[in-house]
Amino acid sequence: MNEDRRRILELLAQGKVTADEAERLIAALEKEPAAGSTAAGADATPKKKPKYLRVQVESQEGTTAGNPSLVNVRVPMQLLRAGVRLVSVIPAQARAHVNDALRENGVPFDLSQIKPENLEEIVDQLDDLTVDVDQKNEKVKVKVFCE
Amino acid sequence: MIPFAAELSIRNGRRRPVELWIPLALLWILLLPLAILLLPVFLIACLVGDVPPFQATAILWRIFNSLNDTVLSVDKPEFSFCIHLY
Repeated sequence: MNEDRRRILELLAQGKVTADEAERLIAALEKEPAAGSTAAGADATPKKKPKYLRVQVESQEGTTAGNPSLVNVRVPMQLLRAGVRLVSVIPAQARAHVNDALRENGVPFDLSQIKPENLEEIVDQLDDLTVDVDQKNEKVKVKVFCE
Repeated sequence: MIPFAAELSIRNGRRRPVELWIPLALLWILLLPLAILLLPVFLIACLVGDVPPFQATAILWRIFNSLNDTVLSVDKPEFSFCIHLY
């Protein structure tokens, strides 16, 4: 039995609170840890929607030690949203070529099945995306993430 | 909103670094007559390529509008380049 619950029961025993009040207080106490656990599972603060997709490439190739080449691209998410809509205007002939190429590479996917709302969904889910490519032999690090 | 300005900075070896603030709004105004002239060409190209012209225009305009706040920077020990649209 935790400290708060014991104190409520003591107050009830002393007659300082009624049985109803004690019950309400205990119920409130029971709710608190549940809320706390969900907050711990997610972030305590509401999740901010990312505004940018960042691509960082760090390469040691062809450079002096300790001075890597850095490429940093920051693309607004709204640009991605607008860009993915381009799929809808791909001519049927070009779409067939793309589908064939995808199939040849083991991705049996039909581009015509993509609807703008699906693309919106994909972009919305990008906020959880983090890609780290770290190749020791190539001396190149690629990081893709949203912020 | 379309990008109205760009900040460009280029550093190349020992040369003096170049830092430019480019008023893109002026550039758009200058390019507007050209865009109007090229509009029929664009429409014909869309029809030939089996692309819906109005939808394509809407999407391109949307992309153009979303370019705001795009940053591209390349940093090498002897060279660096950075462009920021806003």
